[in-house]
Amino acid sequence: MDNTTSTTIVETHSLTKRYGSGVLAVNSVDMSVRRGEVYGFLGPNGAGKTTTLRMLVGLIRPTSGTATVAGHTPGSPASLARIGALIESPGFYPYLSGRENLKVVADMASVSQKRVDEVLDMVELTSRAGRKFGTYSTGMKQRLGVAGALLKDPDLLILDEPSNGLDPQGMAEMRKLIKDIGAGGRTVLLSSHLLGEVEQICDRVGVISNGRLVIQSTVQELLGEKGVIVRAQPADLAGEVLTRMFGPEAVVREDGYFHLKTDPGQSLEINRQLMASSIGVSELRPFERSLEEVFFQLTGEKQGS
Amino acid sequence: MIATIKSEWRKNRFRPAFLVSSGVIAAITVLLYGVSWYQALNPGTAARRAVSILTLYPDQFVNNVMGAGFPLGAAIAIVLGALIAGSEYSWGTMKTSLTQGPGRLTMWFGRVVAFEAWMGIITVILFVVGAASSVVVASFQGHTIAWPALIDIAKGFGTIWLVFAVNGAIGLALGTLIRSSAAALGVGLIYVLAVEVIAVRFIDSINSGAYQWIGNLFVNQNATALTQSFTSPAFGPSATPAISADQAVVVLFAYFAGLVIVAAALIRRRDVT
Repeated sequence: MDNTTSTTIVETHSLTKRYGSGVLAVNSVDMSVRRGEVYGFLGPNGAGKTTTLRMLVGLIRPTSGTATVAGHTPGSPASLARIGALIESPGFYPYLSGRENLKVVADMASVSQKRVDEVLDMVELTSRAGRKFGTYSTGMKQRLGVAGALLKDPDLLILDEPSNGLDPQGMAEMRKLIKDIGAGGRTVLLSSHLLGEVEQICDRVGVISNGRLVIQSTVQELLGEKGVIVRAQPADLAGEVLTRMFGPEAVVREDGYFHLKTDPGQSLEINRQLMASSIGVSELRPFERSLEEVFFQLTGEKQGS
Repeated sequence: MIATIKSEWRKNRFRPAFLVSSGVIAAITVLLYGVSWYQALNPGTAARRAVSILTLYPDQFVNNVMGAGFPLGAAIAIVLGALIAGSEYSWGTMKTSLTQGPGRLTMWFGRVVAFEAWMGIITVILFVVGAASSVVVASFQGHTIAWPALIDIAKGFGTIWLVFAVNGAIGLALGTLIRSSAAALGVGLIYVLAVEVIAVRFIDSINSGAYQWIGNLFVNQNATALTQSFTSPAFGPSATPAISADQAVVVLFAYFAGLVIVAAALIRRRDVT
């Protein structure tokens, strides 16, 4: 198999990790990440995200199951040569500057020292690169971690909760950085419990809960069809008008509301037709399930708990 | 392996622990010479063993620096080893290193090579400062400056490096085993300064010393014997050591290899969580 042209870059089959204490951290996960996509790995804290990612980079050995990363066994030099990873918090030497830390990593990865300045520029840390890592803010540490992951110019970038501990501005900057990285055709495997982040950045998502991958699909598939919600009086007459407009299959009446399976761009026309039939419209809004709703439904967690 | 050694060297060359240790070993050597010089010129009461001024001249500096190298230098080596290995876990740099590409064993052996090179540098500092101090004493005393034979300097250098290497390996192995620098250096120092001494005394006392040979296999009994083999009539009469220098070298090398291999096995097998 030509590993550089294969459509999937990460493939796991029944990947399982059971710790000595008997805790089943990852339970038979079948996951596939396609080349060139930004894949969101979603799950609540303790769901098994980090353990799965650690197995993909060879830090942890699976109890059973198999995985291939860039066509090779996880943790093998051939596999690691094509991966950049930031697992949990960035690990650097506090007494060295950001630049010196990256040089240490570059030496370890047999990467040219010239690349250090390139990645510092990519994460916009050049002006602070001379400061000691121990004095960095959380946001700067995370960005240096991403820079370290980019050093090898990897095919696959694995980022484990890169927005952890960042303030809203830092999170927005990190999102932009990941979007830019993904836009360059590089595959990004992003683990997060921030649903908004995943919804905005990712092409496909996998949701893990209690160690099991409960679903894997595109964000659009997961969110389902878009629609329009209407509340109008008299309701029976409104039902006739809407059915005439979209057909009986596209109109669902529930709790005094009409759920219309149609493009929210039709809202103006819906309003015009209802008004033309002397129907009073008290509510008309686009309907779209949020990833948050889907996530809580899939993981069985309670919203706001 | 070369890439790993380069990386280890780069991160250690500005490491405060190494720079401070180098300064401490130099200061200890100067202090040792200063105090001994004072004692040689001011013998005081008979209760304290007299120091001969002859031991402080350049021709005796190899024998003299052994006192700074062991046990104080050895304790510093344990601290450094524990810091180097243990901090990789507490700073999260272990996972950074392991995701870069070189295999776990390559990374470990590269780390050991770079660390032992630093032990060599600290040994050089000890010898240079010792030699310089002996020249200062000889100059002030108006004594001719004569140096030991090169082969004796080389043997002495090898001895101190071996003692530092083994004790450093104790620190490295403990740091790897415990995955914490503070706990590792605490355990290492307690072992060297207390546990081994008590254990050997106890073993020696059993059945009128019938099991003394077991005590003679402990790591720093051999380090003591090896460093004490560097003596001369200028230092006065000395008891014949229970362990020969040749045996001590073999035992210390065995400890060094054993500790490095055990730590390598731990690094190879264990999950990095």
